Amino acid sequence: MGKKTLEIYSVELSGTKDVEQTDKEDGKERYRGLKNCFHSKKDHHTEKLKKELDLDDHKLSIKELEKKYGTNIITGLSSTQAAELLAQNGPNALTPPKETPEIIKFLKQMVGGFSILLWIGAILCWIAYGIQYSMNKSSSLDDVYLGCVLALVVILTGIFAYYQEAKSTNIMSTFNKMIPQQAFVIRDSEKKTIPAEQLVVGDIVEIKGGDRVPADIRLLSAQGCKVDNSSLTGESEPQARSSEFTHDSLLETKNIAFYSTTCLEGTATGMVINTGDRTIIGQIASLASGVGNEKTPIAIEIEHFVHIVAGVAVSIGILFFIIAVSLKYQVLDAIIFLIGIIVANVPEGLLATVTVTLSLTAKRMAKKNCLVKNLEAVETLGSTSIICSDKTGTLTQNRMTVAHLWFDNQIFIADTSEDHSNQVFDQSSGTWASLSKIITLCNRAEFKPGQESVPIMKRIVVGDASETALLKFSEVILGDVMEIRKRNHKVAEIPFNSTNKFQLSIHKTDDPNDKRFLMVMKGAPERILEKCSTIMVNGQEQPLDKSTAEAFHTAYMELGGLGERVLGFCHLYLPADEFPETYTFDVDAINFPTSNLCFVGLLSMIDPPRSTVPDAVTKCRSAGIKVIMVTGDHPITAKAIAKSVGIISANSETVEDIAKRLHIAVEQVNKRDAKAAVVTGAELKDMSPEQLDELLTNYSEIVFARTSPQQKLIIVEGCQRQNAVVAVTGDGVNDSPALKKADIGIAMGIAGSDAAKNAADMVLLDDNFASIVTGVEEGRLIFDNLKKTIAYTLTKNIAELCPFLIYIIVGLPLPIGTITILFIDLGTDIIPSIALAYEKAESDIMNRKPRHKKKDRLVNEQLAIYSYLHIGLIQAVGGFVVYFTVYAQEGFKPNILINLRVEWEDSNVNDLEDSYGQQWTWYQRKYLEWTGYTAFFVGIMVQQIADLIIRKTRRNSIFQQGLFRNKVIWVGIASQIIIALILSYGLGSITALNFTMLRPQYWFVAVPYAILIWVYDEVRKLFIRLYPGSWWEKNMYY
Amino acid sequence: MTKKEKKSFNQSLAEWKLFIYNPTTGEFLGRTAKSWGLILLFYLVFYGFLAALFSFTMWAMLQTLNDEVPKYRDQIPSPGLTVFPKPVTALEYSFTVSDPESYKGYIEDLRKFLKPYESEEQKNLTACSDGALFEQKGPVYNACRFPLTLLQACSGVDDPDFGYSRGSPCVLVKMNRIIGLKPQGMPRIECTSKSENTASLSTYPFNGVIDLKYFPYYGKKLHVSYLQPLVAVQVSFNATSSTTNEVTVECKIDGSPNLKNQDDRDKFLGRVVFKVIARA
Repeated sequence: MGKKTLEIYSVELSGTKDVEQTDKEDGKERYRGLKNCFHSKKDHHTEKLKKELDLDDHKLSIKELEKKYGTNIITGLSSTQAAELLAQNGPNALTPPKETPEIIKFLKQMVGGFSILLWIGAILCWIAYGIQYSMNKSSSLDDVYLGCVLALVVILTGIFAYYQEAKSTNIMSTFNKMIPQQAFVIRDSEKKTIPAEQLVVGDIVEIKGGDRVPADIRLLSAQGCKVDNSSLTGESEPQARSSEFTHDSLLETKNIAFYSTTCLEGTATGMVINTGDRTIIGQIASLASGVGNEKTPIAIEIEHFVHIVAGVAVSIGILFFIIAVSLKYQVLDAIIFLIGIIVANVPEGLLATVTVTLSLTAKRMAKKNCLVKNLEAVETLGSTSIICSDKTGTLTQNRMTVAHLWFDNQIFIADTSEDHSNQVFDQSSGTWASLSKIITLCNRAEFKPGQESVPIMKRIVVGDASETALLKFSEVILGDVMEIRKRNHKVAEIPFNSTNKFQLSIHKTDDPNDKRFLMVMKGAPERILEKCSTIMVNGQEQPLDKSTAEAFHTAYMELGGLGERVLGFCHLYLPADEFPETYTFDVDAINFPTSNLCFVGLLSMIDPPRSTVPDAVTKCRSAGIKVIMVTGDHPITAKAIAKSVGIISANSETVEDIAKRLHIAVEQVNKRDAKAAVVTGAELKDMSPEQLDELLTNYSEIVFARTSPQQKLIIVEGCQRQNAVVAVTGDGVNDSPALKKADIGIAMGIAGSDAAKNAADMVLLDDNFASIVTGVEEGRLIFDNLKKTIAYTLTKNIAELCPFLIYIIVGLPLPIGTITILFIDLGTDIIPSIALAYEKAESDIMNRKPRHKKKDRLVNEQLAIYSYLHIGLIQAVGGFVVYFTVYAQEGFKPNILINLRVEWEDSNVNDLEDSYGQQWTWYQRKYLEWTGYTAFFVGIMVQQIADLIIRKTRRNSIFQQGLFRNKVIWVGIASQIIIALILSYGLGSITALNFTMLRPQYWFVAVPYAILIWVYDEVRKLFIRLYPGSWWEKNMYY
Repeated sequence: MTKKEKKSFNQSLAEWKLFIYNPTTGEFLGRTAKSWGLILLFYLVFYGFLAALFSFTMWAMLQTLNDEVPKYRDQIPSPGLTVFPKPVTALEYSFTVSDPESYKGYIEDLRKFLKPYESEEQKNLTACSDGALFEQKGPVYNACRFPLTLLQACSGVDDPDFGYSRGSPCVLVKMNRIIGLKPQGMPRIECTSKSENTASLSTYPFNGVIDLKYFPYYGKKLHVSYLQPLVAVQVSFNATSSTTNEVTVECKIDGSPNLKNQDDRDKFLGRVVFKVIARA
């Protein structure tokens, strides 16, 4: 963790100093929002929370605090005291969200989905045996075996699903495991380093820049301490901390530092006042667990599908039970038929396949930096219709970068791409030479040593965001900055502070002939300009007249309007006579001039968008996904970034823009004319839910600025009211309720807090918005492919079911046995159905609208009908042809088979005559029956190969898709054939499995039907392509 | 809450009604008349085609068959043994000597079964020479005579009750017909009673011999009026006790190396076990 924190410290934290004024009022609003959140959440929490928040530790004096917590600020707690308190209050860590006990998870897998049907089947088997046994002690154990096999199937698939789930959870838990945080504490009058977990209330701790605050701390002393409270409040501006009590509210006073926030710079000593779950962050985190987890869309779809299949199975089962009974079958036989029908109807392997398919995609997404915690979330991302994205770090690079320069009365554009490689502005002017010198020298930021081999933009810098930006900028253009600084030795310096609003340093120059000191200064542009009397143009100093001042203002406004942070630069060569080489500068007395300087130029910085983002946003737009930016930043910056990444497209205007263009008041603008809207948190706070709904429906491009993380929850709920599937990104602890509430919560892997990662369904490892879009693509693909997998799997169920129905009605010897069916469902069909997960998209899936939650179902009527009544029936017919062939060639012609069932199955009939007058014993017939099973099995297998190939596409011709592009399909086909060969020739001698060695030619009997399936499906697809929107497409496209 | 539920129930009822018939769109069960027509036509054509294809492939498959001999006979390499008449319960001949009704069924079955073996019926058959396979080249295949007299006491000629009325019943043992089967050696049916003391067995023809001249069989179509060789077993109980006599008899094909009589799974391959229970 240590390293990570440093990184966070050294990269930009999206501060905007030029908006500090507005900040102050809004800051309070935001805190109020936080409190509202406490109050509006679950009632029973409220009372307790209020009490906790009424803590008055910040108001107490140090003496009172010492008394309250029984500690001493010099000696700290004694080890025994600490141990006692630790035992009493527990470790200083957030309780992880309550996990379902493993056994419950396991049992859930055992009864979920189709398992219950199979259990019923197994129990019926045992009951049937019980009845048989009570009538005839020597009855065969077949039913017991079948029952056991069914139970085994349920248990095995249950274990498998459980294992898959556990595996994907494991990815997360390893991810969660971090290097334990250390805290610097005073105990027994000694300073020691202990794991932060062992901190107790009353401990005296020291924090310094770069540390994470280890608990809620009342500061006792602080030196230039600044903290980043963004994980708590969303406020990205560093906040000063001191030991003074400045506000009644615990949340706003400066002398409290909160657990899990980061200390950016300075040092501080404080007393621990809350630990673990009792910290403010802990309380918010526990609130998040109160927000219910929504069922994922794919879970709903699978449930829907299970209902359909179970419905079909049960209704056909019961129907045929009744038919069987009315056909004068014994009830016992009817029960056995019922079992057969259930087994034939239930795609036993499908749920396991779906799990594997999802986890394959999850793996693929992990490679693309989307770590999926919850397997089902894989698809959710694909059905996303609104993405509420953070700005900082997600859309932007999360580092200040020089974007524009203004000198010689001209604005130059700097390259803001990730590597800065292409700086094209004019560097020949003398003004640039001076400006570059100021940029280099008037800067306290430094590269951490030992990074020579690291690309400049990736080096770690010690210093604040703007200085880092300037340092990297100058390093890229000028080369070794540290060397330049060394040559221009610094003799004095006034660091930046918020009252001066400037930074100044005085250097010896590297020109040996020039003995003058060079004073360089940078700061807020207007402040810098005040101090100048001349301006440098083309390397020449000119008096600063009104027109140049005007030009300066225009440029300043223009850059500010882009949402950029603008800095002014000036310098002055101190006359050598007044300031000889030996002169001692006193920065407190200021014994040197700070006015009548020479203005050199402006430089503006922004946290620029990631270069991949505009593309990704365009993709989202064409994919029908609305991207909403939600940020704590200033509206102007937010809007500028929104415009540059395309969240607000180039030609759309906000109400304010229209007002400005037409020079009319905002109220007079017809709101319908505006496509875009920038809404601030303050405005949002005053909105009713109805107004928010209206806003969300009326504007296609929305930016929420200056919002608190709490308001994110409101926005998410608003979007969900529009029936949208909402993806939300977040990193702060306060985002966790929104992350939980969202259909898919996406936490940031780098900047994200643990609480956010816990609450999220997915973790974005590179914090990059573009990764979300790749995730969306994968999610959509998996939905399509699952459709194909399910269609593939459902098809053969009819081919398995028909034999039973024919057997019951026509009385043929049973064409396929229950165990054989299980070998198809759990043997030959498994790998092919997984192989469909590797299928590439048929067309640009990012060019269509997100699927409608209620209308675009995973398993729709067309899919079921086409699979069951078209392809499934062809397969059944094909299977019967193989079956009849085997029987006929062995002596039983089809006509004699009809109604032969009773005699056929009677073990006392051992001279059953075939069509040729030969006589068969019962066992000889049984063996022929198993050959029939094997033949039917092979018939289905051969046609499933064709089924697999046709399922590659739903609309395009197979030849458009490419037969060989998905190699895994061929692995699947090979596996199908090999498993069938092994079953027939390898295990053919094991009677319990009911397989026999099949003559080679029988493997080819069903081939014409397999070809028919292919041709038929090609015709179907052809008509779909030829007549889009026609009756044919409506009925045949699934 | 209940109010809301009721409303939703009414709503769903209305939805159902709308689904069954929607007057505005003219949809019946979610489809317009035209759509229904099309879908029915489609399935008519589709299933018609499928049925035609099925018939065609079945026809084509049947063309590969030979009317006289099945294509493969690998699944019945060796014949099974069965007994006649078929007992009411599984292989248990149970009857009461003093009650003719209890064995009437057996006698009738036997008579019916032996009808083709009567000498008038066999007039057209060939009298083949004993002890050798009767291989024929066709086109006409002759059946060998099986004189009923070979069954002696069990022929039903002398004793129309097949011994049942005397408490020593006859049971016919026959070998399953298998086309082309050529037994090697000298096949005969050997019957043993599990408890030698209670009953003695007589087999007819003498020694239970099955003459090779009845083989090979050329199938129902070619080998018209083929007569299956029979062996009769007569069970005579030793003790003429007034109570119940019971014996388990096992018959096996013996003397022919290619006719199996020992198979773990198939209890009727070359052997048969039955029980005779004769009550006084």
